[in-house]
Amino acid sequence: MTWADSLRTAWAGMWSSKLRALLTMLGVIIGVAAVITLVAIGNGASQAVASRIETLGTNVLFVTPGPGTPFTTRQVAYIRDNTPVARVVVPLLNSGGQLSVGTSTLAAPVVGTTPGYQALGAIHLAAGRFLVPADITFNRDAVVLGANVSQALFGAGNPVGAHVSLLGQRFTVVGVLQPVGQGPGTSQDNSVFIPLPVAQFLLSTQNLSAVLVGASSPTAASQAQDLLTNLYTNRFGSASSVTVASEDQVLATLSATRATFTNLLAGTALISLVVGGIGIMNIMLVSVTERTREIGVRRAVGAVPEDVVLQFLLEAMVLSLTGGALGVGAGLVMVHLAPLFLKTPAVFTPSAVVLAFVFSTLVGLVFGLYPAVKASHLHPIDALRHSG
Amino acid sequence: MIRVEGLVKDYPMAGDTVRALHEVTFEIPTGSLAAIMGQSGSGKTTLLNLLAGLDGPTAGRYWLNGRDVSAFGVVEWSRERNRTIGFVFQAFNLLPSMSALGNVELPLVYRRVPPRQRRERAQAALEAMGLAHRAHHRPTELSGGQQQRVAIARALVGDPPLLLADEPTGNLDAETGDEILNLLAALNRQGRTIVIVTHSAEVAARCQLVLRMRDGRMLPAAAGGGA
Ligand SMILES: Nc1ncnc2c1ncn2[C@@H]1O[C@H](COP(=O)(O)OP(=O)(O)OP(=O)(O)O)[C@@H](O)[C@H]1O
Ligand SMILES: [Mg+2]
Repeated sequence: MTWADSLRTAWAGMWSSKLRALLTMLGVIIGVAAVITLVAIGNGASQAVASRIETLGTNVLFVTPGPGTPFTTRQVAYIRDNTPVARVVVPLLNSGGQLSVGTSTLAAPVVGTTPGYQALGAIHLAAGRFLVPADITFNRDAVVLGANVSQALFGAGNPVGAHVSLLGQRFTVVGVLQPVGQGPGTSQDNSVFIPLPVAQFLLSTQNLSAVLVGASSPTAASQAQDLLTNLYTNRFGSASSVTVASEDQVLATLSATRATFTNLLAGTALISLVVGGIGIMNIMLVSVTERTREIGVRRAVGAVPEDVVLQFLLEAMVLSLTGGALGVGAGLVMVHLAPLFLKTPAVFTPSAVVLAFVFSTLVGLVFGLYPAVKASHLHPIDALRHSG
Repeated sequence: MIRVEGLVKDYPMAGDTVRALHEVTFEIPTGSLAAIMGQSGSGKTTLLNLLAGLDGPTAGRYWLNGRDVSAFGVVEWSRERNRTIGFVFQAFNLLPSMSALGNVELPLVYRRVPPRQRRERAQAALEAMGLAHRAHHRPTELSGGQQQRVAIARALVGDPPLLLADEPTGNLDAETGDEILNLLAALNRQGRTIVIVTHSAEVAARCQLVLRMRDGRMLPAAAGGGA
């Protein structure tokens, strides 16, 4: 029997029992669709991180204290004094908080900062104003809302002048940011900004999460990085007490984390693909039993055991590959639907399709082999005597 | 063509064994039209299965076409059945999922004959059985006699020098049975060796050689009715 004949037989067999074939393939369809969708979501998250950082401007350094390093507001002046190339130095205190207006509530990242943040050039106002020096000086309970936060709490209306409760305090909305784009986590769109001293008071801390240093050129940023790294290494005696990283480096670290995340998702999806393979093996074993007599007849008219292996293996492969193809289709649909339902970006990559196909082929091979070999070991006369 | 010596077949049965063949020895020369007769359960089907290599003997030796095939493995037997042996089962054994044509094509499929050619040859074999008009019917859509003829067409499509037929006329009316027999006789005259298991004295009468079996033993050879 040739490959073409076996393929034709396998294809015809699948068509003759469509429902059963579909149910058999379901595991593989779901597995492949899951691989494509989850990898797309993982990639979407990575890209969101990338776009988020790019919005901060290209010449920004992140000065971040290591665990246990005292890092108070005084560092702002210290950095400014020691880094003449710095165009702007902005303190950050990150936390999370529950916002509420009337009955609607929302958890959001809360960024305590200074008016200098706007000078980094990353944010644009849709309404009202950003934090001003007077907010800092007089510890005003003023809050600037990210676009999504505003949308979630106030809908399309203009919230400037409205009051929100945050960290147990009543804040006045002074401004709303323009949307940056898609992005989970701490994207500006989902964050709110309050004056640094207010945040420090409410969180009862003197420390900062980070200081952003904006330089006027990549060369200046690089100079500032070397300078600050030396400064802090000398001061604390260790390079890890305070890290000074460029945007690229932070991006690299974050995308490494995201890559791990994506791999984890893909791994989970691949496991479901393996489960799909077990489904195929199960049905192939049933099929071998049902068609024992057929195997006997084929052996009687001259099929060698390899012919039988080929026939059943190709049948398993046709199932897993058809399942793979349907799974790719389902995956593409889900990649388009996921952002609508999960509010997370999904970025389709062709390599996920290749991965899914390679795996569904492997699944067909691996899980089809045992039933096929089992079929080929049947003795012709025993197979012919098999009733049913 | 066929020579067997001391062929024994035991079937294991729940701790016990049933001896279906007791040291059977005989010879069927090339070009014979031979009949195997005997009561039901005397071991005819068992013997035919051994001759086709579908089952292995418990003991004994077997020469086919002058070659000792006693030690043949599964692959060698598959090739032998595919090229030199046509087999007609007592129970037809047609594949229900395929058309008559598809069933008849099967031996050629495993001989790797290209699709168009094997289609033509299968069609011709069905035509010779008077079934050209039923080529695209499934076995379940055919009468018993028609199924029998499809099975014979399948056995003959590869033009094998040896045809083993287990009661090929058992399911047919006298007239059709005669037709089939005439056909087999004609094939025999072309030089094919044909072995027919039969209960019919009429059939046996047309064979040059009649082997009689009883309780798994071969009775002393007696000349057939002559043809
Ligand atoms: N698979 C088997 N297991 C055990 N015993 C068997 C098996 N096949 C056949 N036998 C026994 O072997 C003996 C011969 O059976 P066989 O089928 O060869 O008879 P037969 O001559 O072809 O009969 P019939 O004319 O009814 O077809 C019988 O006693 C039968 O019970
Ligand atoms: Mg019998």
